[in-house]
Amino acid sequence: MQENIINQSKNITLLEILDRVLNKGVVITGDIVISVADIDLVYVGLKLLLTSVETMREKRLAIVKTSQETK
Amino acid sequence: MENELIYVYCLSDSPLRLDHVSEQESLKCLMFREFYTVVKQVSLDEFSEENMKRNFADVPWIEIHARDHIRVIGEVMKKSTVIPFKFGTIFNSEESLGKFIQNYSGSLTENIENIKGKEEWSVKIYCNRTLLNQQIVKISDDVRTLEQEILESMPGKAFLLKRKKVELIEKEVQKVMQICGQTCFDELAALSEHTKINNILPKELTERTDDMILNVSCFVNQGRVKELLSAIGELLKKYKNVGFDIAVAGPWPPFSFISIKEK
Repeated sequence: MQENIINQSKNITLLEILDRVLNKGVVITGDIVISVADIDLVYVGLKLLLTSVETMREKRLAIVKTSQETK
Repeated sequence: MENELIYVYCLSDSPLRLDHVSEQESLKCLMFREFYTVVKQVSLDEFSEENMKRNFADVPWIEIHARDHIRVIGEVMKKSTVIPFKFGTIFNSEESLGKFIQNYSGSLTENIENIKGKEEWSVKIYCNRTLLNQQIVKISDDVRTLEQEILESMPGKAFLLKRKKVELIEKEVQKVMQICGQTCFDELAALSEHTKINNILPKELTERTDDMILNVSCFVNQGRVKELLSAIGELLKKYKNVGFDIAVAGPWPPFSFISIKEK
């Protein structure tokens, strides 16, 4: 059986999980619409409020310029 | 079914086995056309639009369900290639989910083909600036030259040069961080089919004392995973002494490399 991240899931922070599951994967709303504002609520709860997307962008290294490149 | 909604975890183009998945009794595998989905029935009390909005403000609720979401997908993907759905994707009925699959079938097939044989790994690079500041004199010729000049200067000039040294150290630290980040990224990109840069997470959330300087998801051919992990080990050896650390985790469900958006 292939081992994966789930085997260590207790050690993964909630933030790491949310960073993946909230806005990635099949990003369609289904029938129940959870808006971006509601997702922000999660982050408020996690005190991520302090780090708006803009702040995070500023902190990125210049290498992000190459970020979306694929081989 | 009355008072129940369909919560979707993931989808595949081949039959999905659940016998190895823990807490499988609440899960169901539904087939639509050539696709198979793992779903569970959830109650309106928890997952109706209004109730879910309320629950999204409740961190313990989020934690339980987000961990469940990733656990189930992770366990299913041990045996199959799956497309993960965003946490909290809910359909009113099986018919409604079937309609979505019908509408998006081309895109779903394309995405499944893209993710077959590949694994998503997350790589985060951290920098201990205090240590790097201490080590910079060993790394930077310019800092060493300036230090020598300070030693050989009269007190007045030495005072001014010391101020210059503070600025130079900051500049050199930034330069080393840039080089380290770029070198690591280039190496990761060379071994990956695709890469995606994610947001840098602040210390209060990483609960680490060092700064995250790069947060990247790598999509790697399964045959090259060992090579990737070994390369990361080598990078860590190379940069550890000057204050860098690399945290690697995976394989994740391929959340970062799915491209299916609302039409």
